[in-house]
Formats: sequence, C-alpha cells, structure tokens
Amino acid sequence: MAERERQRLELIEFLRTIQRPDYPLDGIDEESSLVESGLIDSLALLQIVTYLEQSYHIDFNERGIDPEDLRSVNSILELIARDSAS
Amino acid sequence: MNVLGLRGAYRTISQFHENPRLVAWLSAQPWVIGFTAERRKAVLFFGAIIAGVAGVFSRGARWRDYRALTPWLEHGLAFLFLLGLLFALYLAVIHFKQLPATVRRRPQIWLHLLFWLLLVCLWFFTKRGGFAVAVLALILLSFPYLIWRAGYMLLSGQRGKAFNSRFRDHLFYIWPIWDGTNTPPGKGHDYLSRTQAQTPEAYARAILGGCKLLLLVAIWKICLELLGALIYGDPKSSFSALLHGYAVGLPRLKQILGARMLEIPLLQVWLSLYLELIWETLSLAAKGHVWVGVIRLFGFNIFRNTYKPLLARTIVEFWNRYYYYFKELMMECFFLPTYARHFRQRPRLRVIAAVFAAAFVGNMYYHLLQHKEPLVLGDWNKLWSLLGARLIYCALLAVGIAISMLRQQRQRSQVQASVAGPPNRVFTLRAIAGVWTFFALINFWNVTSHLTIAGRARLFFSLFGF
Repeated sequence: MAERERQRLELIEFLRTIQRPDYPLDGIDEESSLVESGLIDSLALLQIVTYLEQSYHIDFNERGIDPEDLRSVNSILELIARDSAS
Repeated sequence: MNVLGLRGAYRTISQFHENPRLVAWLSAQPWVIGFTAERRKAVLFFGAIIAGVAGVFSRGARWRDYRALTPWLEHGLAFLFLLGLLFALYLAVIHFKQLPATVRRRPQIWLHLLFWLLLVCLWFFTKRGGFAVAVLALILLSFPYLIWRAGYMLLSGQRGKAFNSRFRDHLFYIWPIWDGTNTPPGKGHDYLSRTQAQTPEAYARAILGGCKLLLLVAIWKICLELLGALIYGDPKSSFSALLHGYAVGLPRLKQILGARMLEIPLLQVWLSLYLELIWETLSLAAKGHVWVGVIRLFGFNIFRNTYKPLLARTIVEFWNRYYYYFKELMMECFFLPTYARHFRQRPRLRVIAAVFAAAFVGNMYYHLLQHKEPLVLGDWNKLWSLLGARLIYCALLAVGIAISMLRQQRQRSQVQASVAGPPNRVFTLRAIAGVWTFFALINFWNVTSHLTIAGRARLFFSLFGF
C-alpha cells in the first residue's frame, strides 16, 4: 500500500506539470477520466506515456498503448502495478 | 428579460437532456425500465444480421455471372463467408493468448494482409469470371466496411479485454444497424461497454442525449438548406422559393476547380473556400449526429462525432473535434503503435513520425480502401485520379498537425513555467481564423475534380497572386 501511495503522489505531482492551468487537479477523483474532466488534453496522454517509460520502464513497444490504461489516476496506477507484477 | 436571463433560458433549453426532472420522469417510464441493456443488445444483435444481409445484397451486381447459379446465391454465400470469418476472428479474440506471437503483436496487420491476399487472388482469377469469382468480388466489396470494425475487436483481444465476451457483444458494432461510413462511430467493444447505460436513469440520460443530437440534425439541415439557397443559389433548396430566387451566387469549390477559376474574382474564391469549410462541417455534423444519436438511443452514451470544430484554436484541436471517430481510428491503428515503437529516444521525431503515420499514411490507406470498386477491379488509373490530389492534402494535414502538436507542447511547458492568465479575446479570434484558413486551404486538395495535380497546384498558387 505504501508503494502504491508513493506512486500515486508522484503521479499527481507529474500531472500537475502537464495539466491545463485553468483546471484544478484537487477536484478530480481517482476514477475520473483525466481527458473528459478537462484536466489534460489528449496530447498530454503522450507525455504520460513518456513519464511511465522513464519512471517505471514500462515497455509500450511490447504491450502497445491502450488509451483506457491512461484514462484515470487509478487506471494508470493499475497499469504500473500490472507491469511490475509481470 | 435581461442578458443574463436570456442566457439562462438558452442554457435551460439547450441542456434539456441534463434536466433532473426530465431524467427522473423518463427513467420511471416502464419501457425505459423494461428495455434493459441485455435486451437492447439482443435487438442490436438481430439488427446486425439484417444489416449484414442488406449490406452484402446491396453490393454492385457488376460481377454477377448469369451463366452461374442464381444471383442471390452469390450474395448469400458472400454473406455466410463474411459471417464465418467474423466468427473465426471472434474465436481468435477470445483465445488471443494462444495465437502465434507475431499475430498477437500486430493482429490488425494480419487482418489487412488477409484482405490483400484475397484481393490479389481476385485480380489473378478475375478474367476467368464465374461463380467463385463473383462471390469473392462481393466479399471484397464488403470487406472495407468491416475491416476497421473487426480491427477494434482484435484490439480488444490484444488488450485482454474481450476473453469473456460473446459473439453478440461484437457483431452489433461490426454490422451496425445505424450504418455509416467505414469509420466506426462508438469504436469497438471496449469503449461501448464502458459507455453502456446499466440503470434506467443512465439509459434515460442516453436517450435524451440522443434526442438532442437528432434535434441538432434538423437544425443543421435547415442551416444547410438556407446556405444552399442564400449563398449558392441552389434551386433545389426548400428556401429558394421563399427568397424569390435571391442569392449571393457564390460558386461551390468544386465549380471553381471545374471552371479553373477563370473569370471568378479572387475575393469570391477566398469566400468560397471558407464557406466550403462551413458547409462541410455542418454536413458532417448532421451525418455524425444521426449515427451517434441512434447509438445513444440504444443506451451507449458515447461522444459526439463532431463537436464545435469551428471554435477550435489549434489545428490539433480542430482535427480532434471535426471527425472524432476517424481521428480515433487513425490514433489507435497508426499513431499509437508508431509512437510506442519508434524513435523513443528522440521525442520530437517520435511525435512527427506518429503524426505522419496517422494523418498521412493511415489517412491515405483508409481512403484507398474506401474506393472499393476500382480497388476490387484493380483499376489503378481510376484510383490515382481519385486519390492523387489527396496525397498533397494528407501531407499538408500531417505537417499542420505535427507543427501544431509540437507548438502546443512547447507552449504548455512555457505556461507551466509562468502564471497563466485568462485567454485574450483577440488572440483567440486570431487563432480561430488561422485554423479556418489552414483547413479551408488544404480542402482545396480534397475536393474531387478532373484537374491534374499540376493544374490544381497552379490554381492553388494563384490564390496568393502567383
């Protein structure tokens, strides 16, 4: 749990650097879609991919990019957990 | 009533689909409660069979060989083959892990290879004619409509999200009763499952959302009729009589290309370019709202196909809003695989390569498959005449999107570094005008015409006084 919490905090810290300036991240719950809520645009998804590659060495070359995996804070954390388990 | 009051009234009317009292009333209706998600899917499944039969039987009878068996048998066999193929693909999806590694890695490419293999067989045997060739031709004429939809099914399998799905969970979006182009609105199983209403309240919201889109269709069609009568002087428009034949009399872009712009003042040509963009946006919105509206009536609360693209401030934003499901198709089939696999150490080149894969390669390939009749006939001259100018259109589109994406990335990091203020109105209007100009200009290469590329290029440069 502590590991997941650390990953969550780091992810939120990263999202703050790519979010739209006029949308508060605090109002978004972990299940909310990041794009649909307006927090980030679809282009920012690419930056999330780069973040996951660099920070967690996730190999999207093997698994492909599924936009659903990058949908919300929770789905990104699940992707990290799945990848480290495999 | 003051301005604020008017604004409030407009919002109440335009957002009627979110009115809590209306939602509560509709969700209490017995037919909304009784028409559960499972029942709706069952209707769509049987509708898919009918749509499939109608689709295959409507294909051209050009290859019908009257020496062979009865013509309907050819269509019937083609339908059964395609249904069998879709079932085989479904089996592959639910047993995805058992497929060979090369297929698992790029399932869509294998599906397209199968199409091209069948096509080459047809070209090889086409002169022989006969029953089998006629059946094969009918299969291949129907294939481009199914290939992208079946591709979404394979993507679900690749992502491990369809192993416990049923055939009926896929068939209804592969042969949808809402019809449409080769682009699948609502994408595939994953997105549709996520957006499917499971409660009467959610279903009521989806129905109201669908009704709103169908109302918008009527409004956009009235606007198109009005535009046709007032601007273009279209005698077929319902408003022509009402306006007593009065019209500005601007030519359509196609007419301008046909007349090679001779004797048409430059100002009129430029006005026509912008109006063509508005016309095409309204037409596409009207068509897309019908498809999405019907899908919503069946309880899938999916995104609109077109959402205010004329208010987009960047080229990327316009592309995202203009034809959302086409953009998504290009993203999922071309952009993301390229982005995931190539130039990972060079971020800018990575974006550029992925954009070109989607907006240029994917876009061209999609439209090649769309011209199914010359493709099945192997008529390359016809294909070149239909698609030659589109090469320039797609190249310009890709360059525009790549620049727009890279600029947006740079601006975002700059905005993060400074404090962001509210958007400046003049800046916003200038940005919107820039986007309109870009898409109006590249549309010059997208309109069908008998002109050669060189002829079209001469006309294009004459827009700037050359």
